[in-house]
Amino acid sequence: MTITNSLLKVRTELEDNLRNLLGIPVYLIELDAFALPCGCSGATINIRGFTVDDIEVFEEHILKFLEEATLKLEIQPSFLFARLIPGTAEVASLNARMLCDSCYRDFARGEGKQPRPDIYILKLEKNK
Amino acid sequence: MPAMKLYVPHVGHMEGLQKLLADPSKIHSVYMAGSPDYIGTGRTNLSAPTLESIAEQTEYAHEKGVKIDMVLNSSCMGGQQLTPEGYRAIGWYLDRLNDIGIDSLTVADPYLIEMIAHEYDMETVVSVLSFVDSPQKAEFYEGLGADTIVVDPVVNRDFGKLEAIRDVTSGDLKLLVNEACLYQCPFRYAHFNFFSHANGPGPKPNVIDDYYYYKCLSLRIRNPEQIIKSPWIRPEDLSEYKHITDMFKIGGRTHFVEWILNNINAYYNESYDGNLLDLLDSIKDLKDTFYVANRDLEGAIEQWEKCDKNCHKCGYCKRLAENIIKIQTEDGNKKLSSIRNPEDI
Repeated sequence: MTITNSLLKVRTELEDNLRNLLGIPVYLIELDAFALPCGCSGATINIRGFTVDDIEVFEEHILKFLEEATLKLEIQPSFLFARLIPGTAEVASLNARMLCDSCYRDFARGEGKQPRPDIYILKLEKNK
Repeated sequence: MPAMKLYVPHVGHMEGLQKLLADPSKIHSVYMAGSPDYIGTGRTNLSAPTLESIAEQTEYAHEKGVKIDMVLNSSCMGGQQLTPEGYRAIGWYLDRLNDIGIDSLTVADPYLIEMIAHEYDMETVVSVLSFVDSPQKAEFYEGLGADTIVVDPVVNRDFGKLEAIRDVTSGDLKLLVNEACLYQCPFRYAHFNFFSHANGPGPKPNVIDDYYYYKCLSLRIRNPEQIIKSPWIRPEDLSEYKHITDMFKIGGRTHFVEWILNNINAYYNESYDGNLLDLLDSIKDLKDTFYVANRDLEGAIEQWEKCDKNCHKCGYCKRLAENIIKIQTEDGNKKLSSIRNPEDI
């Protein structure tokens, strides 16, 4: 299967799972795989109709769906987070990121769910 | 040929205009944005045509028998229009547009409306972003010298208001048929002010996200009846408005020409067999999520003609949404209730 076919399949499955979980037609507007100059790579899922309240209430389920989705894209789901529109409850995207060493140090130093006001961490596996 | 004048969006470059006017018989006028260096607009622009390009396109449209309207409808210019420098720059630009032979200017700022009405021969059109939703506002703008008023779509389903506006104005009225903003949208002023700065003379804001658009879509996804409540006008229902006006404007100058042509055909023929969301401008991103069969809305206008806007008592749009809005999935279109607990509805 090509990478674009995988992205299409995963986008649809994740959208269906989230719709069934929340009971609203939550809309995954775009699923992108990315590679950054620093060495980070992963996937960004732009989303509409989704709020931080949904994450807080259904975090366990959303995390499970997101882990399953990212594994299918061969992304190790060790760092998963939502990005919020600053100052609001609106979720702009769900993100899976394989961190480079430099970015890992930035994020691993943080404490709590929201090390930055626009980031809600669903999962961050710290190195031993 | 239907007795109507269609005003249609144009993306702004010659190639787009040539495609749009391949068959000009259905089009009375096209409208396009100008250079954001002088006056911006209240919407996103795909192009910033130079004066040379505007002149070339105007000549081409006129050869085809189609009028051309420049949309200079910033809802906020930060007061620059009232400074000596701003006045001179805007005046210089309007002089050039006048020399080119532009037929009309659509503006939102009352000062610009009065200035253009008094100093130029171009038709002065009050933008939908002047929010004319009452006979009192219509009288006010006509008093400033406006020739035509594009009525705020918020009253598109308030026939009493529309008829009152018609009764007090001696100029022309135009109805925007497919804008599809939220009914009584709380973001409307802030969103258009944001666009005006983002698409106008600098300094331009370096924004992170378009909060208003995210929120708009989010509200509809969580409450799809908002799609029904938006005051769009179906192509089939234009006949209900012909005692108000014969001038209908299609929104959507940020879309591909094929999308615009599809709308022109639908509204010209007063008929569309497909997803209503194909025709709606501001929520185009939802056309792959929701399916609203246009034919299922047959007769709804009869309810809206007597609507008193007390949604909490009536519930008609809510029931209609539950009956006809489908969610698009890989397995086909499903009813809203298939992903909701029926007891919640």
